Amino acid sequence: MRAHSSALARGITLAAGLTLVLAACSSGGGGGSGKGGSAGLSSCGAQGNANTCNSAPTKSGGTFTYTLEKNIQQWNVQDSNGNTFENGETLGVVLPQVFVPQPDFSVALNTDLVTSATQTSTSPQTFVYKINPKASWNDGTPITADDFVYYWRTNNGKDCPPPPASDASQTKGCLPQSTAGYDRIKSVTGSDGGRTVTVVMAKPFSDWKQLFGAGYPLFPAHVAEKLSGATAGDAAHMTAAQMTQGWQYFQKTPPSKYATAGPYKMQDWTDNDHATYVPDPKWWGVHKPTLQRLVFKVITDATQEPTALRNNEVQGIYPQPEVDLVNQIKDIPNVTYTIGSGLTWEHFDLNLHNPVLGAYPALRQAMFTAISIKDIVSKTVGQFDPKVKQLGSHNYVPGQAGYQDLVTSTGQGSGDLTKARKYLTDARFTGVGTALKSPDGKTVGPFNCRYTTGNQIRQSECQILQSDLANLGIKVTIKPIGAADLGTVLTGHQYDIIVFAWVASPFPSANAQQNWVTGGGGNYGGYSNKQVDQLVAQAVGEPDSTKAATLLNQADSIMVKDAYVLPLYQKPTFLAVQSRFVNMRDNATNVGPPYNTAEWGLKK
Amino acid sequence: MLAYTVRRILVSVPVLIVSTFVVFLVVVNSGDPVANFATSRQPAPSKAAVAAFARHIHADQPVVERYWNWITGVLHGDFGPSVQSNLDIGHDLFTRFRVTVTLVAAAMIIALLLAVLFGVFSAIRQYSVADYVITFVGFLFLAMPVFWFAVLLKQAGIRFNESTGSQFLGTIGEKSPYLDVDTAWNEFTDRIGHLVLPTITLALVSFASWTRYTRASMLEVLSSDYVRLARAKGLRRGKVMTRHALRTALIPLTTVTALDIAIILGGAVVTETIFQWHGMGEMLVQAATTVDVYRTMAWLLLSAVVVIGFNLVADLLYAVLDPRIRYD
Repeated sequence: MRAHSSALARGITLAAGLTLVLAACSSGGGGGSGKGGSAGLSSCGAQGNANTCNSAPTKSGGTFTYTLEKNIQQWNVQDSNGNTFENGETLGVVLPQVFVPQPDFSVALNTDLVTSATQTSTSPQTFVYKINPKASWNDGTPITADDFVYYWRTNNGKDCPPPPASDASQTKGCLPQSTAGYDRIKSVTGSDGGRTVTVVMAKPFSDWKQLFGAGYPLFPAHVAEKLSGATAGDAAHMTAAQMTQGWQYFQKTPPSKYATAGPYKMQDWTDNDHATYVPDPKWWGVHKPTLQRLVFKVITDATQEPTALRNNEVQGIYPQPEVDLVNQIKDIPNVTYTIGSGLTWEHFDLNLHNPVLGAYPALRQAMFTAISIKDIVSKTVGQFDPKVKQLGSHNYVPGQAGYQDLVTSTGQGSGDLTKARKYLTDARFTGVGTALKSPDGKTVGPFNCRYTTGNQIRQSECQILQSDLANLGIKVTIKPIGAADLGTVLTGHQYDIIVFAWVASPFPSANAQQNWVTGGGGNYGGYSNKQVDQLVAQAVGEPDSTKAATLLNQADSIMVKDAYVLPLYQKPTFLAVQSRFVNMRDNATNVGPPYNTAEWGLKK
Repeated sequence: MLAYTVRRILVSVPVLIVSTFVVFLVVVNSGDPVANFATSRQPAPSKAAVAAFARHIHADQPVVERYWNWITGVLHGDFGPSVQSNLDIGHDLFTRFRVTVTLVAAAMIIALLLAVLFGVFSAIRQYSVADYVITFVGFLFLAMPVFWFAVLLKQAGIRFNESTGSQFLGTIGEKSPYLDVDTAWNEFTDRIGHLVLPTITLALVSFASWTRYTRASMLEVLSSDYVRLARAKGLRRGKVMTRHALRTALIPLTTVTALDIAIILGGAVVTETIFQWHGMGEMLVQAATTVDVYRTMAWLLLSAVVVIGFNLVADLLYAVLDPRIRYD
């Protein structure tokens, strides 16, 4: 009786909590938005205003402390080791980039850096960047074509090659996070005193707007030239050793130590604790910062962020949302928040190295059709974000220009058992619904479903899959993966079914090449389809982005039929700030909410 | 005494070597940091970058060779490469140790003083109301999970700040990132404000168990013949308690506190995490979750040295507390 009462009490408490959360979310996700002025972040849920919500004029003064969830050890975000979200956020405040990813997943030209960036020819594909005449590093050196040349040569994988095997320290070379696009450039040249940059491609590249930016800003070439003893303004003739010196310097040195070109300059960096920025008096841009000080504070445990926000130790947080966390934020007065839909998407992957899963597309189609994504969402993230729904693409998320729902119409993720069983009976499987056997009489399964240990949501996802596939006569065992073992499991193909997340990109071609093409770095399940390979390769080389999207969607339609990866949903994102500050927005791309720090400030 | 100390230190060297080798084997085989590197980034790093990473962390070498290189490197002050690019493990280790010592020192002193005071009082007034209250409080803190108690304290701290309109009590880190008026006094009070809550957490948790030890030990001593004899001979109660009973009763407490302090110096993981002190506990968690072999080993080495050191100190303190013990 006592246990029953306790369970009842818990149930009532949980139901009450959920009701409150759902009520809050359905009203637009806004906490107290303050009195008057901006509607706060609660207005960010509405369609079409992701880039403009929470806007208001600002007044001078104030300190805004934003949280970083990881320390920064390596300051070169262009490097494969330094390519972290936190590094991109931190450097984006002080270093310039050509196109900047926006909250609505589009990219916007940074006119403070270049007044125009245009494709002037398709054969050979040529781009011309006109550098803003006022643009300069804060030591007075103008930003010129030399900075673009340095960027290209350090990132193309040829002029500054990776360290040789004989280098024990593995520091004598450049290891860019990606050479995509830069390895297709034939030349980068300057004219008009270096203020016009002309880039000629050897091979066409559809995602050309990601060059020289999109979360990977320019570093000052003149700093690298000076410290390496190269001729000033002549990055075109820097040796690999000289470029390596620059590369290493930017890896080890926080931007408080060298010339930068942003609305703020980094005043100091305390390792494992915080970065402090102050407005840079040399900033020439349109938006002059009004904050007296901007601080990025390292808080490595997301569950501590709400109390820090409540205690006014930080004024803005950007953690992964959970029911408890959202509830806590809701209770804090004068804090506004938004739950958005991010670029990160959850999915089930099948391992096609498994002989049964690899051999029978009908089996895979049946499995994906039997899974009910609606159930999965309602029992996991739907509890705090009722907007979450099934994702219908492997390359795009809703809101991106190329997005088409190619999955839902096939019935995959619908939980339609009749249709799922029909796939199996048509393909001459036996024991459907009891103990499934393949057409050659072999038992199908048991399969394991793997998830990262401690991730309650993914555990639930595996449990729902287990129950759904039992209806087809397929036994599934749930097997957690150690916190540090996801990589081992993926690259070692130690799974039958696995649930994890990918991060989509404003430039999806490169991701598609990695994840879906035969032998691609992220194609862990061993998917291979020549048509898909061909279409993705065409998309990567297609100068017209609309045509590239069409090609990617054609490839995706084939992939959906092949039933290799089942997209589940976009993971929600969560931004909460004190409502006395304005102009912060949820930017779920790799630049994060600090994409527009020049505009952040105290509400007037 | 000196010869004993030197002998103890020398004996600990093979213990350290064996224990580090065993742990090295365990850590090396507990996961694959190269596979993690290859899969945890988007875009996925190139094959050249993955190969470079493997070479950088010496994952391409045989385990025994790696261990030998590590142990000889440590003797030269080189703790090996971390999976985190640019992380100087030696610098990280000692910085974090300083953070943990700062966090733990005051808490341990307060806990020890309270434990002795209340433990003795409780023993002298056995079965009195005060004894029951102290016993209840002791068990309460003993049973209370640190993660829960620390969170409650944080909430209380925030309420305190809200009610006073100040921001005296900090809930994250060892100091504020900036001070509006940057004076030495303000910096001092800011640091104190950040120490209060984690110190109370650690102190009360340690106090709870230590006070029970003190009480039990004191009761045992108080009922011993030599204490009864001293009282029968007419010695003053206070003198019997301090000179005879307490001194003996402190011996078991010395062992317990020495070991406890050594373990806490290895990282008060929960307290550090909740109050965001980037100390030894966080280092261990990060190293373990990223299969950072050399960082784990550095943590282990320092923790082992601290445990051995505190054990030695405890042994030496025995001699001070008990004149019958001599290390010759």
